Amino acid sequence: MVPLLSIVLATLLAGTVATFFAGARARWAALATSIVFLVEVGLLFVSYPGWPGYSGSLVPGFAEQESYAWIHIYWMHVNYTVGVDGISLVLILLTAILQLATVVYSWTEGKRPAAYFGLVTLTCLGSFGVFVALDVLLFFLFWEAVLVPMFFLIGYWGGPRRRYAALKFFVYTHVASIVMLVGLLALVFYSGATSFDFASIYAAARGLSPVVQVFLFLPLLFGFLVKFPAVPFHTWLPDAHVEAPTGGSVLLAGLLLKLGGYGLIRWAVEILPEGFSHVRPIVFGLAFLSILWGSVLALSQRDLKRMVAYSSINHMGIVLLAIGLDSSLGLLAAVLLMFAHGIVSALLFMSAGTVHHTFGTRDIPAVGGITPTTPTLSTLMMAGSLASLGLPALIGFPAEFTALVATWDGLGYLVLLPLAVLVVTAGFYLWMMQRMLFGPARGIPAGAHDVPAHEGMAMGLLVAVTVLFGVVPSLLVNVIANSPVKGFPGT
Amino acid sequence: MVAFVVVGLFGRRLARLEWGGWVAVALSGAAMVVGVLIGIGEILGPATYVDRRYTWLHLAPSSAYPNGFSLVMGTLVDPISALMLIVVTVVGFLVMLYSIGYMHQDRGLPRYYAELSLFLAAMNGLVLSDNLLEFFLFWELVGVCSYFLIGFYYEKPSAASAAKEAFLVTRVGDVMFLLGIFLFFYEYAAAGPVGSGGWAANGFLFVQNGLPFLQQGPHVATNPTILTVAGIMILGGAAGKSAQFPLHVWLPDAMEGPTTVSALIHAATMVAAGVYLLAVTSLYIGFTATDSLVIVGIGGFTTFFAATMAVVHPDIKRVIAYSTVSQLGYMVLAIGAGFTMVGLFHLFTHAFFKALLFLAAGSVIHAVGTQDLFKMGGLKKAMPLTASAFAIGGLALSGIPPFAGFWSKDDILASVYSTLGSHPDFWPFFLLAFASVFLTAYYIFRVWFLVFSGDAPRDASLPHAHEGPWVMRVPMIVLSAFAVGGGALVFVPGFDRLLLKGSSFAGTLAAGIPPVYTTSDLLLSGGGVALALAGLLVAWWLWGNGRIAPASDSAAVRSVRHLLLERYYFKAGYDWIGAKGIYTAARAADFFDQFVIDGTIHGFERAFAGASNRMRRIQSGVVSDYAAYIVAGLVVVFVLLLLVAPFLVARFGGA
Repeated sequence: MVPLLSIVLATLLAGTVATFFAGARARWAALATSIVFLVEVGLLFVSYPGWPGYSGSLVPGFAEQESYAWIHIYWMHVNYTVGVDGISLVLILLTAILQLATVVYSWTEGKRPAAYFGLVTLTCLGSFGVFVALDVLLFFLFWEAVLVPMFFLIGYWGGPRRRYAALKFFVYTHVASIVMLVGLLALVFYSGATSFDFASIYAAARGLSPVVQVFLFLPLLFGFLVKFPAVPFHTWLPDAHVEAPTGGSVLLAGLLLKLGGYGLIRWAVEILPEGFSHVRPIVFGLAFLSILWGSVLALSQRDLKRMVAYSSINHMGIVLLAIGLDSSLGLLAAVLLMFAHGIVSALLFMSAGTVHHTFGTRDIPAVGGITPTTPTLSTLMMAGSLASLGLPALIGFPAEFTALVATWDGLGYLVLLPLAVLVVTAGFYLWMMQRMLFGPARGIPAGAHDVPAHEGMAMGLLVAVTVLFGVVPSLLVNVIANSPVKGFPGT
Repeated sequence: MVAFVVVGLFGRRLARLEWGGWVAVALSGAAMVVGVLIGIGEILGPATYVDRRYTWLHLAPSSAYPNGFSLVMGTLVDPISALMLIVVTVVGFLVMLYSIGYMHQDRGLPRYYAELSLFLAAMNGLVLSDNLLEFFLFWELVGVCSYFLIGFYYEKPSAASAAKEAFLVTRVGDVMFLLGIFLFFYEYAAAGPVGSGGWAANGFLFVQNGLPFLQQGPHVATNPTILTVAGIMILGGAAGKSAQFPLHVWLPDAMEGPTTVSALIHAATMVAAGVYLLAVTSLYIGFTATDSLVIVGIGGFTTFFAATMAVVHPDIKRVIAYSTVSQLGYMVLAIGAGFTMVGLFHLFTHAFFKALLFLAAGSVIHAVGTQDLFKMGGLKKAMPLTASAFAIGGLALSGIPPFAGFWSKDDILASVYSTLGSHPDFWPFFLLAFASVFLTAYYIFRVWFLVFSGDAPRDASLPHAHEGPWVMRVPMIVLSAFAVGGGALVFVPGFDRLLLKGSSFAGTLAAGIPPVYTTSDLLLSGGGVALALAGLLVAWWLWGNGRIAPASDSAAVRSVRHLLLERYYFKAGYDWIGAKGIYTAARAADFFDQFVIDGTIHGFERAFAGASNRMRRIQSGVVSDYAAYIVAGLVVVFVLLLLVAPFLVARFGGA
């Protein structure tokens, strides 16, 4: 058997190193890495046997598994164990698409390009690792490997208040990481698992009493919720986004937030179902709060990036709600939404970046009527906004629709809240479009020209992905549903 | 064949050249041929179903859907979709042709034709949908096309604002529609013939094995309250799209779009989609008795409510827009009372005469460059064709026999009247609808007399008027023919069958076969015609021969007029809710977010850091400080690791 996941990991590792040392040719190294990565992910998709299509694997239900002894000292059995299922595969696809789009978008980055592209590649390496790791410590290693490059991307390439934002980001996520790590280790030790592997913890945790499960679940929940971010742990996100360079924002919204969702599903909900079932009211409360709060605050923002950041809080709130439903439909919706939001928010942050360097500001009231000057940018912004507010035939719709059906099944008339918020979401996007894209020209500097080719290509790629999976969502749904998760076919 | 229509229409998006408009016209012509052929096939042959579908999304079984949940995309041709297909493709083609002349001076024509073509494609998709979800998908697409086209002159702030308003108000309806879909799906998930796996597993199709869902049995026990709520939610969606009270505000403002768009989207097709939704739901899924009363109430009230606002408005297009709202109210009324096919018949005739009125109005606007009625006048001589086209449209709208509108409107009134015995609660709405006949004739002939009668324009600075080119005249002539003869089509044996088949289809609604054609209530018809003629006469008395508005208005008249021009303050009220209410709340929430939530966090931070000089050092920006901070973090991790170490020892006991 070909160790496909290790090959991908090696590719990304080699790509990262090469990019860091490639000097002026760093962007080419990064581009080559991301293209190879995408091709390899394509292979993974093709060779994915589906659940339950394989036998004799180490962790039941995961494909492409590899496991090697890593740190075996005394009683500690830490392994290098990796594997994928449908949920992680879809998020890996998201990683590969966003890496390519980010590299192409940032093509002309002139400020220490080797370091910049190296950090971008490293972030994607970390995300990939998080999505494939089936060992607690390996998972945590990759988890931290994402935070550090993001800290530097914000802190060095960011806007005027970058230091404050970077530090805030780091402190928040680091505190969350520590709490999460303590939770994970306690989980290993309390459950009496024989190794740090997912399978061993999963089996051992069955024996825990409900009270212990709740106490183990809470630190994990906190750790992942900060990453989501759920209200009230969200204030690092708008600041980080506003100050981050465009590429950083894209990875932050597109990938980092998804780590929280993925972690919650894989390392908390699946392992501690009893504990989860007792804290679901908290999860619902925070999810509804995030949905409402994110949307209402987006309405009041003047800065385009802040607006998109708050809309991310709204969308991730729906993800949290869908996970909280604890149904197969909800889980499917959550993963679909994470993919959709990753692509669409990346598109929107890219447009915000282009607006910023074309017009010199992202202040929504300051710029208006840009469509005659920059028709392509305007079209791309429209596509992003419409996808984000859930227009059918674009990726957001099947995701939101599934989430709402699942919410109705699980919670009945409480679905009215997310439904009503859909109007507010449409409201702030349309209002933004009315002010920035339409109306008489305002605040447009002389010599402003349309989107540069490389930025247009990156955004065009994302629009194409949005349309493809919006028209044929079954491409993703069939893969996600092929996961060894409670309630899915085959379990 | 049907797929060809849709794909062909999408292909037009490629047409971005000088002759792109003609490509669009040719392709919509091809679509019209196909559409009409399907319609004729439906008239001649037995009810046939072209039914190709693919699974769009299959959701795994869950507790609520034990057999899984399939969402499919397919096509369904039945009598009512054939009827709509004829309307959409014929009016679509004529408006495309007219656009060549009307729009020739505008910038952004490729965008115009591309959006209009996309609209036609989506509208055809909507008409041919075979389940509610697919319906909703295309429903949103036509909505977004409407958004683009209302905002076609996007440099104008009023157009950009109107586009947003249209999208948001219909969005409120869409959210209700979506909830209605959930409720129906959930309630009927397991329903359907035994052994079929339930409606959910079969893709929620309107028709399966030749039987509408309504007639498939046995249905599992359902909760009538939920079904009533679902029906009302569907009505909410329809009210948003078809601009029914209280979601009517967007349609008059939508007149900011080009007149051709108003004719096609905001008169003949898209706004009728709401009525079509009600028709489809009533035929295939069914409404409860409470729903029917609510639908009748909304329809009857809107009919009158919108007509009053049309009476005073000085803008030629907005008067016709209010008239559209009012006429859609008639259709909703008919469907609510259980006469689905009668309502659709009015939809059919209305599409043609209302498109005609808009195109004639467009011809006037094209000629004189204003929409203000009180600047126009005496255009009859310069534009005889337009004047007679508008007159024909007006007569059809007023319901004067033998014009098209008479047959369908009279049919609605007679049908609703026939139910009053068993449904006395329909009385007030019947009376409102009946009274609206007078207002309708008055407001439309007020427009005619103001524009065409007299000797010269009231504003002498208007350019010298002339008729448009042939591409504009031909569509008006064709539509005039429909406006004259469209209603009598009901006597054509084949066409009759189209409506009949549709009604017998629903079994219980067989009573929907128009009673007026067998035992016509002559008194009612006569009364309706007399009212319409009275309205026409009053309009002539007040505005005929180029008369100026009577100057001696009393204070009461003035205040009523003010109330009507302010649209009963609905628009202002909604604006206040949006701009003042919600936005102020959002600003307050933002303040809370920055100072209370984030402030609390900063408070923790300070308390944690202990001293402020420490804070200053952290933010010093020296990289080594950051490095130190990271190291400190890692140290904390290890300390915590040591803290959990006792557990390890206890657990594994040094094994």
